[in-house]
Amino acid sequence: MTKIDHKKILAERMSARLGRRAVLKGLGAGILAATAGGAFPNVAKAQQSGHLKIASVKVIDTLDPHFTGFLSAIQIINNIHNGLLKISYDGSQVTFEPDLAESWDLEDEVTHVFKLRDGVKFHDGTPCDAEAVKFSLLRVKEGEPASPHAWKLALLDSIEVVDPLTIKLTFSEPYAFLPVALNGSTGRAGTIVSPAAVQKYGADYGRNPVGTGPFKFVSWRDNDAIELEANTEYFETGLPKLEKVTFVLMREASTALAALMSGQIHGMTDCPMQLVDQVDAFPNATLYGEIEGNYTYVGMNCQRAPFDDVNLRRAVAWALNRDTLVKQAYFGRAQQAYTPISPPMTGYFDPNIATSGRGQWFDLDKAKEFRAKAANQGEIEVTYMMAERGPVGTRIAQTVAPMLAEIGIKANLELVEPASWVQRRNGGDFDLYDFEWVADLDPEETLYPEWKSDGAWNFCRWVNTDFDDLCKQASTELDVAARAALYHRAEDLLMDEAPCAMMAHMPIYKVFSNEVKGFNYIPADLVNLHTVSLG
Amino acid sequence: MIRQAFGKVGQTLVVLFIVSFASFGLLKLAPGDPIQIMLGSEYSPEAYAALSAQLGLDQPFLTQYLDWAKNFVQGDWGTSYVARTDIFTYGFLEALPVTLTLASFSLAFAILIGVPLGVLSAVKKDTIFDAGAAVFALTGTAFPSFLLGILLIWFFGVKLGLFPVMGYVSPWQDFWGGIYHMILPALTLSTYFIAMITRLTRATLIEVLAQPYIAAARARGEPGWRVIWVHGVRNIALPLVTILGLQLGTLLQGTVLTETVFNLPGIGQMLTSAVLGREYGVVQAGVMMTATLFIVVNLLVDLSYPFLDPRLRDRK
Repeated sequence: MTKIDHKKILAERMSARLGRRAVLKGLGAGILAATAGGAFPNVAKAQQSGHLKIASVKVIDTLDPHFTGFLSAIQIINNIHNGLLKISYDGSQVTFEPDLAESWDLEDEVTHVFKLRDGVKFHDGTPCDAEAVKFSLLRVKEGEPASPHAWKLALLDSIEVVDPLTIKLTFSEPYAFLPVALNGSTGRAGTIVSPAAVQKYGADYGRNPVGTGPFKFVSWRDNDAIELEANTEYFETGLPKLEKVTFVLMREASTALAALMSGQIHGMTDCPMQLVDQVDAFPNATLYGEIEGNYTYVGMNCQRAPFDDVNLRRAVAWALNRDTLVKQAYFGRAQQAYTPISPPMTGYFDPNIATSGRGQWFDLDKAKEFRAKAANQGEIEVTYMMAERGPVGTRIAQTVAPMLAEIGIKANLELVEPASWVQRRNGGDFDLYDFEWVADLDPEETLYPEWKSDGAWNFCRWVNTDFDDLCKQASTELDVAARAALYHRAEDLLMDEAPCAMMAHMPIYKVFSNEVKGFNYIPADLVNLHTVSLG
Repeated sequence: MIRQAFGKVGQTLVVLFIVSFASFGLLKLAPGDPIQIMLGSEYSPEAYAALSAQLGLDQPFLTQYLDWAKNFVQGDWGTSYVARTDIFTYGFLEALPVTLTLASFSLAFAILIGVPLGVLSAVKKDTIFDAGAAVFALTGTAFPSFLLGILLIWFFGVKLGLFPVMGYVSPWQDFWGGIYHMILPALTLSTYFIAMITRLTRATLIEVLAQPYIAAARARGEPGWRVIWVHGVRNIALPLVTILGLQLGTLLQGTVLTETVFNLPGIGQMLTSAVLGREYGVVQAGVMMTATLFIVVNLLVDLSYPFLDPRLRDRK
């Protein structure tokens, strides 16, 4: 019976952790059931028609799922490849469903068994079987050159090919984060690539991606366009509906909007916040967007004066007027953040966080109290490093500076070019900066790699081993309530010692003209075109 | 003549060497690191080190430069770090034609509009027309081209729906489509040059029209249009060509903004994204192409003088 229990726990976790409302909670193994009717390869070929043109306004680094660091690339990669699991959304609930896998079972706490769909082929005609899956997972885990996403499979002990369509993964400890590790964040550890293509193209695979997805890669001309065409052999019956897709690579979002309004393109993979009002007023397009799994913050450098002083950091954390920030920096479209865990992480996010007393918010008296306790009582001058980057550019820094003046901190806004901004952030050469962690699906990925002591992404260089321990405990805890409690304790430490001052959870927008039908919005910044057609 | 030609080629090579070294050095001196940009936010130090070694970016500056120069001269322009683009295909075969098309259309616009406007202002000197043209020219020189581009997009593209607002169609494959897509960007880029040519033509022509040979032509009873368009305009060709050659740099600079606003995949966009991403190889290719273009055009300008002015031809 242990088997069943684990399955049930996992199913509950899967249904409860991400949904807006835990509708499916308690339905148990229901969502783990094999997706019936998935295994009819090459039957009832869909009639594809239409050529969708959609603007991609952010940098695309590579189309290799195991090496990309950008969600803009994942948006395209996801149309070419499939994963073992996929993220799906029914309007209120985010779940993980088997994709290339037909079913997913837990043999015991650490052993996951995936049964694959029969007859699935890569675009190059080679079969997508257990060996291919093993190849992809190993490529992420220990491939050469090393994948930046290898850490997600660090706990993976062994991969056993049971038969051509069954693969067994054994982990060194219970791994609650697995579905997210396979599908989440900016890379895709669980995305399956064609072994033949990787051998053929080597490091140039990202220029010649070959997956099993609804669209085949055709061409990529830099600064111009990435073209895809329908995979007529796609394993999901009746899909895709489009014959061709062009991602028009644009850097000027206002031009993309003009092109949308004049009918030259059908949509934008990302609609910057400052253009959202214009899109709202335009009758022939539809905006898709909700608050997603993200948070933004002002980061403070804990390793050097003056912000090595915890009381000064606390003063900053309480001095930011989040209302003003949301209105002025985020065009009134974001939601105040009290802690990092964001609204889509159901089961972990507290809907009553505003009145719970947890987290950080604006309280100038409290800020001044902490300021009075700070070691340096004179006027403090700090460098606030900003760049024309991120969702709203330098607007945050400009809004924050006068708030800091209220507590006797003079912030010198230093505008640097994005490449040196990255270098200085990584090198810890700043006092203040603002940043955002986006498209997170789970508290683990939203908290632990970002803030663990000595972590590569912990740019504020905050050190707290209690925080590390709590996160480590939580990652092997399968009970949602217990896991949530651990993460809340970790968050409380983070909020109290304040290497960061929380700002907002942001909505992420996409826009499509009304000709575009059947787009399934998924609040993880995805642009899956499987079901899209042009009407 | 041949010795002269060799001398020019030698000069050109020296200039190109200096340009390539300077741009490589400047880019390396600038803060920023292609690998940090490439890996996004979520990567480990091991991944960083591995990639750095793989791309040869852990080598000393001079080694990197010499490696690049050796390969470049042999025609191997390399691949970009992040997107693994073949730089030769990207820069020379794809981006260069776009920029050349844009530049030649703008130049054509500038001449076809600027010269007649300048001639008319010179002939109708101190009339209301002349004053109007002067206002236009002044506005044209002062108006930032990116703003003009956005205004043109919103008015002609979105409000009136007359022209496409973005994208490039090669006029070699689809002539009318190519022209149609090029009208707004070329207009944007050429405004400054139309204005400049108008002022230059007016000023030179007024001077020319005061020359004795014009009076002589008039005295011979030649028709007024012939006096101006043949005897007059011919004599402004020399300063015009010289100025255009020298202003080519400004024109190429202008393509950067114009290409970004109209989303044209040319050298301007290539260079901006490459500089932002610290794609050293791509920047080098872009710089070398524009430098060569500049040198070649000015060489052609030099060579054209004898055709434009018979007094400069070799006497036999």
